[in-house]
Amino acid sequence: MDQSVRGQCWQVPRLDREDRWIGGVAAALAREIGVQTLVVRLAFVALATVGGWGLVLYALTWAGLAIANPGRLSPYSPQPKGATSTHRVLAVVLITAGLAWAFEPYSNAAVSAIVLPVGLALSGVLIAWTRSGEGGTSALVRVVAGLVVAVGGFLAVATSRVEFVDAALALVFGLALVSGIVVVAAPSLVRMGRDLDRERQERIRADERARIGAHIHDSVLQTLLLIQQHGDDPARTRQLARRQERELRNWIYGASSDRSSGLRLGPALEFAASSVEAAFDIAVGVVVVGDSTDLVPGDIEPLIAASREAMINAAKHSGVERVDVYAERRAEAIEVFIRDAGVGFDAGAIDRDRHGLSDSIVARMERAGGAARITSEIGEGTEVELSMPIDQHAADPAGRLAVDS
Amino acid sequence: VIRIVLVDDHDLIRGGMRAVLDEECEVVGEAADVAGAIDAIARLKPDVVVCDVHLPDGTATDVIAGTIQRGVTTVFLALSVSDVADDVISVIRAGARGYITKATDSSEMIAAVKRVAAGDAVFSPQLAGFVLDAFATDLRAPVADPELDQLTPREQEVMRLLARGYAYKEIARRLTISIKTVESHAGAVLRKLQLPNRNELARWAADRRIL
Repeated sequence: MDQSVRGQCWQVPRLDREDRWIGGVAAALAREIGVQTLVVRLAFVALATVGGWGLVLYALTWAGLAIANPGRLSPYSPQPKGATSTHRVLAVVLITAGLAWAFEPYSNAAVSAIVLPVGLALSGVLIAWTRSGEGGTSALVRVVAGLVVAVGGFLAVATSRVEFVDAALALVFGLALVSGIVVVAAPSLVRMGRDLDRERQERIRADERARIGAHIHDSVLQTLLLIQQHGDDPARTRQLARRQERELRNWIYGASSDRSSGLRLGPALEFAASSVEAAFDIAVGVVVVGDSTDLVPGDIEPLIAASREAMINAAKHSGVERVDVYAERRAEAIEVFIRDAGVGFDAGAIDRDRHGLSDSIVARMERAGGAARITSEIGEGTEVELSMPIDQHAADPAGRLAVDS
Repeated sequence: VIRIVLVDDHDLIRGGMRAVLDEECEVVGEAADVAGAIDAIARLKPDVVVCDVHLPDGTATDVIAGTIQRGVTTVFLALSVSDVADDVISVIRAGARGYITKATDSSEMIAAVKRVAAGDAVFSPQLAGFVLDAFATDLRAPVADPELDQLTPREQEVMRLLARGYAYKEIARRLTISIKTVESHAGAVLRKLQLPNRNELARWAADRRIL
């Protein structure tokens, strides 16, 4: 019930984008009435000869239809009007004749001198502007034809001898036509803008796809190949898979880190972690809280180097496959904790040989003005705590220079 | 024995988890998408649903919402490979009792399932980090609305230790409190996270997306 009612409702005719010479108005009307497009076109031409009213009608119809149907809507299939097609053609002819007769009294000198030439000129411009779906020579022909008609129209206006009183009338007509043209041209302009936008988006999408494809090829496919080759070496396979996972994750979620101007704790630690994962059979989980971009290289670098040393230490000695790294930027200091749940050692009886811990971590942090503390218990794992006070006058030029150069 | 429904769109991952979980629990059903998950949960009424955050036709949040709509009460443990804060926090805010990553080893995974089945919260180091980031830490200015719950110093301490990779048992020993107390702190943090009026949490998530 509901459906059938909607089916019977009259719909505004749709401009025909396929079967068209100018705007698809004739085709739209022909479809609505149920006659051949040629009949409507002839009707417009016939009316155009009566003081140019056909052109005005065409322009107004175009504007009306374009505004009524801004987008591509649901399928449109009108019922043919009238009993037979001859019937309908006759109707069109009669209506055209009637309109011509009705317009006749107004097609005086001023109207034929102004409306016709201006109409010609504007339709020429329109023809030139109308986008040709086919492109190439067809588009060129349209532009040239449009220009010829336009120039002809302007010349006709310029050379027509108009009396003074008629000139005022002509001005009114001219203004009406100009506003008409704006309305008529607007859909085309909007459409052109939309097309451009869509094309640009498609290009961006294609570029992005190519970039992703290249990246996948360089990274994931290579890694999969390596994994196939090292299938008999579980440690190596794990290592490869971890490195790839981290890299891909950084690529997906941390894409802009290389472009950010400031130095950040998270990416720096991730980088250190990935280098450790690449060299040892260990997974490094990095959690960063309160990261910001205003950190000073002079503070960060020793901290990252010491963290990396601690990770390596865990990889070498803990005997477990995972180390957790937690970094937090607090108000007064940056803290990093590197913790494994491995075998641990007796911190009191620390071996002099283990230079890694005392030199690379503790001494390095102290030289840079920070502190390191190592806690470990046999069977309970090891934790290295690093803390680096934040330089409050953060813009340390020396530190920045050291990194820039 | 704990009855589990597994939701993940990857057969291999599901198979692997099933092998792990079947050791001490019982996987009664599996699903690969949101619709299938809601059906399976409504039909099987499991004790715990282990649910991937990202599914082909939605997220774990949709599964939780759909399950609540069907009037089924169960407990969700979110599972993910992605560590994007927004995703994780939104699943927790939808009602999941915990979050672990797929890299979690088998004994920890079983422990996590048991913990959520017992009504306790499960935090991965990553989730604890997100929580610390989300709630005002000492870096941030005091919040405008004092009505809003902040983490207590003790809760912050527990979250920090979780983020550092400590298990509940180790945290209890370090802070010389009982495991039950650690669990109750974690549960309290989870509840605060799930409060509906956490405006600054939403703001934080929004900021995070901009970064």
